[in-house]
Amino acid sequence: MRALVIDDSRAMRRIVSSTLENLGFEVNQAGHGGEGLDVLAGGWVPDLVTVDWNMPVMDGLQFVSAVRANPAWRAMTIMMVTSESEHTQIVRALAAGAHEYVIKPFTADALRDKLALLGLLPQEVAL
Amino acid sequence: MSTIDTGQRRRSGDSRPVIPELIDEATIRSIAEDAWIALVGEEEILLPIPGELPDDVLSSWVDVVGPWTGTVVLTTGRQTAAELTRALLGDSAPEPLEPEDVTDAFGEIANVVGGNVKAALPGPSALSLPEVGSAPAVRNPADVCRVDVLWRGEPLTISVQGALPPLPVPHPHENGESL
Amino acid sequence: MTLTATSFDWVRNLVHKESAIVLQPGKEYLVEARLLPIARQLGIPDVSEFVESVRSRPSPDSTRRIVEALTTNETSWFRDGDPFTAFTSTVLPALLAARGPNERLQIWSAACSSGQEPYTIAMLLEDALPNAASRVSITATDLSREMVERTKAGRFSQLEVNRGLPAPMLVRHFTRAGTEWEVAPNLRRMVTVSECNLAAPLPRMGPFDVVYLRNVLIYFDLPTKRSILSRVRSLMRPDGWLFLGAAETTLGVDDSWERVVIGRSSAYRPLKGA
Ligand SMILES: C[S@@+](CC[C@H](N)C(=O)[O-])C[C@H]1O[C@@H](n2cnc3c(N)ncnc32)[C@H](O)[C@@H]1O
Ligand SMILES: [Mg+2]
Repeated sequence: MRALVIDDSRAMRRIVSSTLENLGFEVNQAGHGGEGLDVLAGGWVPDLVTVDWNMPVMDGLQFVSAVRANPAWRAMTIMMVTSESEHTQIVRALAAGAHEYVIKPFTADALRDKLALLGLLPQEVAL
Repeated sequence: MSTIDTGQRRRSGDSRPVIPELIDEATIRSIAEDAWIALVGEEEILLPIPGELPDDVLSSWVDVVGPWTGTVVLTTGRQTAAELTRALLGDSAPEPLEPEDVTDAFGEIANVVGGNVKAALPGPSALSLPEVGSAPAVRNPADVCRVDVLWRGEPLTISVQGALPPLPVPHPHENGESL
Repeated sequence: MTLTATSFDWVRNLVHKESAIVLQPGKEYLVEARLLPIARQLGIPDVSEFVESVRSRPSPDSTRRIVEALTTNETSWFRDGDPFTAFTSTVLPALLAARGPNERLQIWSAACSSGQEPYTIAMLLEDALPNAASRVSITATDLSREMVERTKAGRFSQLEVNRGLPAPMLVRHFTRAGTEWEVAPNLRRMVTVSECNLAAPLPRMGPFDVVYLRNVLIYFDLPTKRSILSRVRSLMRPDGWLFLGAAETTLGVDDSWERVVIGRSSAYRPLKGA
């Protein structure tokens, strides 16, 4: 399975990527929403996108809306991973089309639990 | 825009909240503790003990703009910021660590702490992207809530500070004016 | 200084007597790690010294603190997923069909820890039934007073809501309370919380239609597991359902249960005539 990790912090990209890689994902990274869209438009379409909210150029909410506007990307699961943690913000992200929401700070176990909910754990790991 | 002072503006300004009315030190400390446990490591305890910051410090901060407007600032020694970066990155820490790695990681920690501080305040408010450098000055000493901790024996401070200068004190004869 | 053998033995016996939890030799490190914070709080630098001070003058409060410190309260929302999928897909429809419209379903979360398990069930019911609170009651119990208080409060930290709680359910059933999240009052009203030691005679409760007895039998020896299963069965309806943890089973412990496979999970039902 493939995952695209979008965050403006490279430290955070590394943390999320290494958790996903340990779970068997093939991971690509982008530093903001625009770069993320470029990766997708280039034909690298992942099963999962994890996306931060606060980023320069294009933020996570704009990214989610842009992805949801393109029917070709319907099958992609989007998970926000962000320190935005007000109730209203989570509602906005879900309304825009994010499937899941992880609040920073999170542990590797928390990411794993969310992937299990989404049915995105590779079988051998899920057992 | 009229500049006539009707007294009305001042009164609505008087109700502008300052941060000690909105959040306490224990809350800020628990936000930071959770960030450290989750991101830095399960055993990474922040001791609620003040220490003396070294001369060479680094700060990272995010702005919160909303019903309360201000900045969440983390300050620690430059060395400690580098150690924090290594701890955060764990096995994937680059060797050698570049200054940009520290800027990035320390900034992200401000983003995580700041986002959670924001969520504990009355909203809605917006969060800025993190900045790293020398801390913005305190504008109003009454609008600050500050927590001092030790991480691995090194001092670190978290300061939630208002962005606006204190309001002018109204003249006594203006008190009791009708609405 | 490390824990002396005498101190460890005393703690081990105390914990077994009060909770049936088995601390095998070799778990000295666990006892030390769990008791050190309490000792420090009391200004005692050393765990053995702390244990000896309680041993020489035991009080219900101090022994309780030791026992509670040695419970493992690890839990999460929708833990393992499948036992909750089975509940909504199979168990709940079967029970609703079998019971009259005015009969209240009774569900027991028998080692509820900080409350994630009973509130997971409450959310599922609230989403599945139009008038959940009047049709179902959930009893949540735990040995630990601290856990009982936490479940009553229904407040969870950011880190806790991150563990397995689907975001749509978080926004539907929780509100922010400072740095924590508070479960909605209608869910809290569905859940009654009290202290209950599974290893002692059980209070009059039930009869239960569904029992979640998950990730607690693992701490007990075989005779204790057997007697707990039999006591739990006596509080269940004959057509009730029991869910155990992923590493737990009645097989080879108590043969008065029938194992039923539901999707990827399994439940246990009282055997007729057993
Ligand atoms: C690992 S937690 C399981 C929580 C939840 N059932 C789950 O599956 O996630 C185990 C719980 O069992 C409780 N416990 C231990 N011994 C007990 C006893 N003798 N009677 C009742 N509860 C007990 C502990 O306090 C702890 O909260
Ligand atoms: Mg960011």
